[in-house]
Amino acid sequence: MRVAVKRSLVAAMVIAVGAVSIAVTTGEPVADASWWSPNEPRTFEARHDYADDAGVVTTLNTNGPTPVAGHPFFSSFSANGRACVSCHQPADGMSLSVDSIRKRWRETGGKDPIFAAVDGSDCPSLPQDKESSHSLLLKRGLFRIARPWPPRDLDGKRIEPEFTIEVVRDPTRCNRDPQYGLTSAQPMVSVYRRPRPTANLKYVTSVGFPFEPKQGLPLPTDAETGQLISGNLLADGRMPTVRAQIRDAMRVHLGVTGAVPASTVDSIEAFLNGVYSAQSVHRVGGLLTDGGAEGGPEVLRDAREGDLQYGGAPIWKEFLPWANAAKDASLTAEQRAFRESVARGAEIFAKRTFLIDNSAGITNMGFGNPVRNSCAFCHNMQRTGMDVAPGQVDLGTTNAPTANSSPELPLFKLTCREGARPHPHLGRVVYTQDPGFALTTGKCIDIGKITIQQMRGLAARPPYFSNGSAQTIRDIVDYYERRYRIGLTEQEKQDLTNLMSVL
Amino acid sequence: MSPMRCVSVAALFVASLAAADAPDSRVVTFVGCPIYRDTDLGRKSGCWLAEDPATGIRYDVTDGPTKPQVGRMSLFEGVLTSDPDTCGGVVLRPVRSAVLEETCPTAIIPAEQFPGRRFVLPAETLKPTWEPRELPKPPYATREFHIVFDYGNDFLIYQYAELIIEKIALYAKASQPQAVVITGFAATDPIEVSGRKLAEPAALAKARADMVALALSRVGIDRRRMRIETNTHPQPLAELGTPGLEASKRRVTIRVEVTSPEGRGRAKRG
Repeated sequence: MRVAVKRSLVAAMVIAVGAVSIAVTTGEPVADASWWSPNEPRTFEARHDYADDAGVVTTLNTNGPTPVAGHPFFSSFSANGRACVSCHQPADGMSLSVDSIRKRWRETGGKDPIFAAVDGSDCPSLPQDKESSHSLLLKRGLFRIARPWPPRDLDGKRIEPEFTIEVVRDPTRCNRDPQYGLTSAQPMVSVYRRPRPTANLKYVTSVGFPFEPKQGLPLPTDAETGQLISGNLLADGRMPTVRAQIRDAMRVHLGVTGAVPASTVDSIEAFLNGVYSAQSVHRVGGLLTDGGAEGGPEVLRDAREGDLQYGGAPIWKEFLPWANAAKDASLTAEQRAFRESVARGAEIFAKRTFLIDNSAGITNMGFGNPVRNSCAFCHNMQRTGMDVAPGQVDLGTTNAPTANSSPELPLFKLTCREGARPHPHLGRVVYTQDPGFALTTGKCIDIGKITIQQMRGLAARPPYFSNGSAQTIRDIVDYYERRYRIGLTEQEKQDLTNLMSVL
Repeated sequence: MSPMRCVSVAALFVASLAAADAPDSRVVTFVGCPIYRDTDLGRKSGCWLAEDPATGIRYDVTDGPTKPQVGRMSLFEGVLTSDPDTCGGVVLRPVRSAVLEETCPTAIIPAEQFPGRRFVLPAETLKPTWEPRELPKPPYATREFHIVFDYGNDFLIYQYAELIIEKIALYAKASQPQAVVITGFAATDPIEVSGRKLAEPAALAKARADMVALALSRVGIDRRRMRIETNTHPQPLAELGTPGLEASKRRVTIRVEVTSPEGRGRAKRG
């Protein structure tokens, strides 16, 4: 059961062990108002607390209580009825969990705007009233992202791709569709991806260093804002800034036609710049600001963005005080054990090294292949686990042979043209479920590269990875263990899982 | 090979080569398959080794600015040293490696008795964005900068090239040059290494220059002030300190042309 909990009750919250629901010591939970539909006459408060499977996810709004009627983030603009909030729900850490998606299907009979044909179904040409036509959204939380083929730059100019693309498997029937497929009048490649959280954006857009080592170039500057482009937006980096992303999303996902007014973009951007979201309570570990820990969204709001972790200040250091949980007599044995596990997870994340191999964007830029390092090699930005040296890497989540088996996803065969530099580790022919960054750049070297994303609020927004191939946080750990043969013990896997459940 | 034996071999080599009284004879150049020795002294601590097929001697090539990739043949160029053997090979320093297209067996071996070396950050790295930069003070004069590339590559090497790019940007910002001349070089004259003829394609000279021009434009240098030139038969440049003069030919030279010591070049033109 999903419940919203009043701000004043959070501190007094007692988390029912082993239960998903939350009991409060004073007062009753308020009615379930966790789902935000477009155009509702509500107020987006300065703080919203929602239960998730691990405890409570909290979203702060530093803009203060914001009436949402008429606010463009919460308003629909076209017949598809969508608003930004449709896919960026505060109860889901400003993303969208597959549980919420399934619930909306049940409650609305598939009529909620998130199931809009354009991208909320496997293909717009399928019968939209059938559940099977929305299989990837309902099973894996994946929206259809249609990329133009050949790729185009931000001015719409054709990019000559270094590779050809063939459809090997088309379970959604969209890539061979006469209207929406690769051979249609407006050729496009349909890939299926999770929505990223629209929270903690100062970290996403921060520029820790002005150089992008994966491309071997200084960061570009956005012509509109004059600011350096962080390179950490969107799975395939197709939009350089939040403003550009807002405009693109309004056109593509919300069905807005014509130019999006600057005032609309301003309003959404200003709102998002004040939104911070993170897990704030764990049902076993308790308040994530307790015992010296610095979890929760407040520290995200107050800390400086873009700082690189290092030995003296390792990433997730905010949970290291829990290593001393045994000294706190007020804790139950289970709480102590959980908190110690989280602290161990933070240590492992920052310090446990393993051989990282065949991962374009890491192992082909001078570090060597393989290179020994820890999770924090790439997840190195304090507070969010993003990459300070921003950009895209191929961790193998979409490319064969390392991607999880996914017969429900399309499979493409990409063949690098004569004279083009091949993929550094996979050669001239690459089979992939999602070419990722290569659909933006047209380069072989970028096939399967996906932008590293922030790690906050994970418990509120499964499944994980851009293609939803990890159903649970534990699945993330298991993927990395298999991919890089880390040699984690069962306890270490649990420690990392517990760590990620409190972020 | 034991560490002691490696040290002895290195010492013998250095001694015999030094006796030849030819500075370049300390330079070792070969094409071979890289071997990764998985020593574990923390992050980035593994050792890179490679055997010269002509002599069978195993070298420690860990210190190059670009590390090899297992399973890919590499060109190695390094200077013999008598440094202690901590990885299982004669230490080459400085050393450069360049990944070639040709494949070879993937070789990852355990640490065995070798401790390896801790990773040490380069003495100078790019400062975080929030740290203020200091502009060079006048007087200004025309000045040349050089960026060395790996064999066959136009990629700007991380933790090396970006520092030079930033220095150029700061110098240009302060000195207001009337022109920035970017000369891309490609070493197209063939060299024979390990029985192979190696020569860079002529097009690489422009590709390197274009890459530097793009980088400089991103740090604020006006493209209209840039002039791109190419040279496919470059002379070596000893001042670059590369391991062997051949490596110095694979470069881009950036000449910041300043006419006013006070940095008024652009103002005068305007």
